[in-house]
Amino acid sequence: MFLLRWLWSNLSGYRGRYIAAMFLSVICQSMYIITPMMSQRIVDTFIVAENGAEMVRTQPDLLIMMVAAMIGFTFLRTCMTYSANMLYESTSQAVMYRVRKKLYDNINMQDATFYHTHRTGDIMTRMSGDMDMVRHSVAWIIKNVLESLVLFIVSIVYFFSMDPITALCLIALTPVIFIASFIFKRKVRPMYVNLREKLSQMNTLAEENISGNRVVKAFAREDHEIKRFDEKSREYSAANKAAALKWMDFFPTIEITAQALSVVQLVACGIFVVMGRITVGEFTAFAGLIWTLANPMRNIGTIINDFQRFSASANKIIELYYGRTKVADREDAVELTERIKGDIEFKNVSFSYGKTRVLHDINLNIKAGETVAIMGATGSGKTTLVELISRIYDVESGQVTVDGHDVRMMRLKQLRESVGVATQDVLLYSDTVEGNIAFGNVDMSKDEVTKCADIADAGGFIQKLSEGYETIIGERGVGLSGGQKQRIALARAVAVKPSILILDDTTSAVDLETETRIQEHLRNLDFNCTKIIIAQRISSAKDADKIVILKDGTISDIGTHEELIRREGYYKEVYELQR
Amino acid sequence: MARNKFDIDETLETPFDIRHLKRALVYCGRYKGKIFLSLTLSAVAAIVGLLAPLFSQYALDVSLPEGNIPQIIILGALMLASIVISVLLSAKRSRIMTKVGQDIVYDIRKDLFEHLQKLPFEYYDSRPHGKILVRVINYINSISDLMTDGIIKFILEIFNLIFIMIFMFFVSWQLALVVICGLPVFAVVMLLIKNKQRKAWQQVSNKSSNLNAYIHESIVGTKVTQMFTREEVNAEIFDKLQNNYRKSWMRAVTFSNLVWPTVDNVSIWVRGAIFITGLLVFGTGTVSLGNIIAMCSYASRFWQPLLNLSNLMNTFINAVSYLERIFETMDEPVSVCDKEDAKEMPEIKGEVSFNNVTFAYETGPNILENLSFTAKAGESIALVGPTGAGKTTIVSLLSRFYNLSGGEIDIDGTDISSVTLHSLRSQMGIMLQDSFIFSGTIMENIKYGKLDATDEEAMEAAKIVGVDEFISSLPNGYYTEVNERGSGLSQGQKQLISFARTILADPKILVLDEATSSIDAKTERYLQRGIDHLLKGRTSFIIAHRLSTIRNCDKIMYISNKGITECGSHDSLIEKKGDYYKLYTSQAI
Repeated sequence: MFLLRWLWSNLSGYRGRYIAAMFLSVICQSMYIITPMMSQRIVDTFIVAENGAEMVRTQPDLLIMMVAAMIGFTFLRTCMTYSANMLYESTSQAVMYRVRKKLYDNINMQDATFYHTHRTGDIMTRMSGDMDMVRHSVAWIIKNVLESLVLFIVSIVYFFSMDPITALCLIALTPVIFIASFIFKRKVRPMYVNLREKLSQMNTLAEENISGNRVVKAFAREDHEIKRFDEKSREYSAANKAAALKWMDFFPTIEITAQALSVVQLVACGIFVVMGRITVGEFTAFAGLIWTLANPMRNIGTIINDFQRFSASANKIIELYYGRTKVADREDAVELTERIKGDIEFKNVSFSYGKTRVLHDINLNIKAGETVAIMGATGSGKTTLVELISRIYDVESGQVTVDGHDVRMMRLKQLRESVGVATQDVLLYSDTVEGNIAFGNVDMSKDEVTKCADIADAGGFIQKLSEGYETIIGERGVGLSGGQKQRIALARAVAVKPSILILDDTTSAVDLETETRIQEHLRNLDFNCTKIIIAQRISSAKDADKIVILKDGTISDIGTHEELIRREGYYKEVYELQR
Repeated sequence: MARNKFDIDETLETPFDIRHLKRALVYCGRYKGKIFLSLTLSAVAAIVGLLAPLFSQYALDVSLPEGNIPQIIILGALMLASIVISVLLSAKRSRIMTKVGQDIVYDIRKDLFEHLQKLPFEYYDSRPHGKILVRVINYINSISDLMTDGIIKFILEIFNLIFIMIFMFFVSWQLALVVICGLPVFAVVMLLIKNKQRKAWQQVSNKSSNLNAYIHESIVGTKVTQMFTREEVNAEIFDKLQNNYRKSWMRAVTFSNLVWPTVDNVSIWVRGAIFITGLLVFGTGTVSLGNIIAMCSYASRFWQPLLNLSNLMNTFINAVSYLERIFETMDEPVSVCDKEDAKEMPEIKGEVSFNNVTFAYETGPNILENLSFTAKAGESIALVGPTGAGKTTIVSLLSRFYNLSGGEIDIDGTDISSVTLHSLRSQMGIMLQDSFIFSGTIMENIKYGKLDATDEEAMEAAKIVGVDEFISSLPNGYYTEVNERGSGLSQGQKQLISFARTILADPKILVLDEATSSIDAKTERYLQRGIDHLLKGRTSFIIAHRLSTIRNCDKIMYISNKGITECGSHDSLIEKKGDYYKLYTSQAI
C-alpha cells in the first residue's frame, strides 16, 4: 500500500476536500437506494392499495407532496453528486499538479549522467500518460472502491437483518469472485508494465523522428522511419489488446457470478417462501435490492484492472519523484558574500564517463581576469574539463576550486550564476530572440539585451529579422545559420555578467572578420571576468594569456602563442596547417 | 504561418463540422463487418439478458403460490442459462471491439505519422516539437475510448431508445407523450452546455499541448537550464502553464459533469409527471393503474439510454477536440512533394546547374536572387561568405528541401522538381550543421546511411573519417548505446559519427555544411586525406569557415548580397584581391 501512502502524502492541503468528497459520495450512494423506495411508496399508497382511487380523490395534496418530495430529494442528491464529483476533479488535479511540479523540478536538477539512461520520449511518457493515470486513480479508482465498499457493507447488513440464512446463501458466491480477481491481478500486472514500456518506446521513437527530422529527410529515410514506427505502434497496439483481452478472460467468470446472485436469490428465497421461512413481501424486497450486492462485486474486476494500470505508471513516476542527483548542495555549503573573482584551480582532477577515463590527473591554475584557451583533438576532454567548473559533473578524484573554495562546497546556484557558458551544442528555445538572450537574467532591460547582442556581434542580423528582437526562433534555433545561433548563445552567456565566461567552440561557425570583432568586444567588457575559450582555430586562441593543450585527457603542453609555435607539438602542427 | 512558441495557443484553422465525424467513420468503415457482428451479438445478448427477470416474475406469479419447488429450481437453471449466454455473448463482443478499436487507433496513428514524414522543414521549424509529439502519442490515445466502445454503445442505445418508445406508445400514448415532454427540457440544457463544453475541451487540448511543449523543451535543455541557473524561472513558467491547464480542465468538467445530473433530474420530473397526470389529470378512467406502473418502469428505461447517450456525448465532445487537431495535422499541406508525373532520378553523374534561382522562406525577404552557376561533374565547390548569407540555403535547395520562388535547378540536365524526392535525396549525401544521434548503438547510427550495410562496411566508413580508434576504445565498441543527449560523446565525435553515416551512403553528390566545425584541425586533416579519394568523381559542395579546409577546392564561390559575388579558384581569387582575399588574409595569423 506504499502507492496509496504516496498518493496520500501528495494530497496534503487537499485532504479535507478529498475527505469531504468521499463523505458526500457515500451519502449520495445511500440516497441512491432511497429514490426507488419513494417511488414505490407512491405506487403502494395510491395505486396498489385497495383504497388507492379513494386516496387520489380525497388527498391529491398528499400525492403532489410526495411527488414534490421525490423531485426535491433527487435534486438534492444530484447537487451533492455534482459537488462530490467537482471535489474529486479538483483534488485529483491538485495531486497531478503537485506531482508533476515535483517531477519537473527534479528533472531540472538531474546531472548529466541521468540522461545516459533516460530518453527524452520516456521522460515525456512519465510527464503525460503516466501522470494522467495518477489523476484517474485519485478521481475515479479510489472513489469507485469506496462507493462499492459502502454499498456492499450496507447491503450485507441489510440482508442479514432481514434473514441471515438467505444472506449467507448469497455471500457464498463471493469467494469465487475474490479468487478470480486475485488470479487476474497476478496475470494482468506484467501486462500493464509491458504496455507502459511499449508506450514509452513508441514515444521515444516519435520524439527522435521529430527532433531528427532534418537527418531523416537528408537521407530520404522516411520509409525506414515509417517502418520502425509502425513496428512500435503495432507492439503498443498488441500490448493494449493483450491487457484488455486478459480482462476479457476473467470478465465472464466475475460477471456471471455477480449476476448469478439473482439465481441464488430466486431459488433460495423461493424455497424459503414455500417452506414458510420468509414472506412473499420479503422475497420481492430481496429481489429488488439484489443489485446492491451484485454491483460492488462486479466492480472488483474493473477496480483491480484500473489499479494495476495505475501502479505500472505510478512506479515509473515514483522512480523520478524520489530520484536524487549526486550534484547537489551540501548541507555545510558556504555562501560567499562578495562577487566571485574568478580564480580557478584544478588539482589532480580525474574524471570518467562510465568506464571510459576522460580526464586524468589535471593540474591547472587560472588567475582571475586571465584569458585561457584550451585546444586539443576531438574527444580529448575539453568540454568535460570546463563542465567540471560549474559542476555539470562532479570530479571523480582531485578537486576544482574557484576563488580557493572547492566547488563542491559552494552553493550550486551561486557557483553557476557566476559561470556563463556559451555552449557548443547551441540549444535555443522556441521563444523570441530577446527572450533567448535574457534567458539567464530575465529582468534585463531591452537596452541591455541589445548591448549583449552587440558584444556578440549579433545586433546587425537580429535587426534584419522579420520582427527584430521579437522574432520567435524555432526550437534548437532552427531557421538561423550556425554562426547566428552561436552568436545568440554568446550573447546569452554574456548577459549574466559572469565572473567566469566559457566559450565552448563558440565561434567555429562564425566567419573570421566577425570573430575578430567579437574578440575585440570581449576584451572590453564592462565587468571583470576570467575567460576560458575552447577553440579549434589558432585565430581564436592566439591572443590568450595561456594556451592549454589537452591530449587524451591530460595536459600535454601549456604556454603562450609565441612559446608554443616555437616548440614541436600539437599547437605548432595546427598552426602550420592553418597558415 | 507565424512561428509558434510554447505559451501561444494554436488557432484552429477550421471550426468543427460534421466532416470530422464522417472522416472518423471512414476509419470505422474498414471494420464494418466486425462492427456489424458485434452489434448483432450485443442485440442478442441484450434480448437474452431481458429474459432473466421474466423467470423471476414467473416464479413470483406462479411457482410461489403453488409451492412448486422443482419448478423454482428449473426456473433458476433457466435464468442461469440465460445469464451465461448473455454474458458470454457480451464478452465475445467486447473482445471483437477491443481489437477493432485498437486497430482503428493504430490506423489513425499510422496515417498521421506517414503524413508527418512528408511535411517539409518549415512545418517542424515553425512550432515546438513537443506539440507535434503530443498529437502523435497523447491525442491519439485520448480517442481510443471513443473508438473501442463508443461507436457500438452509441448505436445500441439509439436502438434501445426507439424500441422503448414504441413500447410506451403501445401501452398508453397519453403517458408516452408525457414522458417525451421531458425531452425538450433535456435538449435545451444540452444545447446550452454543448457549445461551452466544446470550447472548454478545445482549451484543454490547447493547454495540454502548451504544457507538453514546454516539458519537452525543458528536458532537451536541462544542461542549459542548469548552466544559467534558470531552474526557478522555469519552474514559474511551468507553474503558469500547469495552472492554465488545470483551470481549463476544471472549466471543462464544470460543464461535462452537469450533463448526468440533468438527465437524472429530468427523468424524475417525468416520473412525477406520470403519477400526477396519470392519477389526477386523466383520472382513473382513461389510463389503467397497471399502465401507470408499467409506464413508470418504461420511463426509467427510456431515460437510461438517454443517460448513457449523454455520457457518450461527453466522451465524444472531448474526443473531437483531439480528433480535429489530428485531422488538422493530416491536412497540413505537403508543399514539397512529388509532382504527379514525377520520374525517377536516373543515376546522378554530378553536373549541377542553378539557373536564375530566387528563394525566400515563407513570406520573408528574398534570401537569394537570380543566382546562377554550373558545377561540372566531379568538381568540388566551396561556398564561403558572411554568416547568414544563404550558403546553407543553397545546398538545401539542391536536395529540394524547399521549393524555389523562381528559377530552376538541374542535375545532369534534369530539373530536380520533376523527379521523385526519394530518388533525388537518396543519391545526395548531406552532412548537416546539426548532427543528430538516434538512440541505439553507434553501429546503428552509422548504418542509418545505408540500411543494408554490413558491419565491415560501417567500420570501414568509420576508419575513413578517423573515428574508428575512438569507437573501438569504448567498452562495447561499435555496440555502445548512445543517444542524442548524454552518452558521453563529444560534439566532435558526434560529427564524426554522422560523417561516417554520410560516407557509408555512398552519395553521388556530397554536401558538407560546416561538417567539421567541431573537429580539431589535426583530426580534420586526417579526415581530409581519407575523404579526398572519396571525393574523386563526385561533385561536392563544402561550406566551411576554416579556409584551410577549402583551399584545394576546384571552385570557390563567395556568397553575399543574395548571390555570388566572386567565383574562381583559390589562386585566381587571391589575385583578384576582392572579398575572398580579404577573408583569407584576415585569417592569416
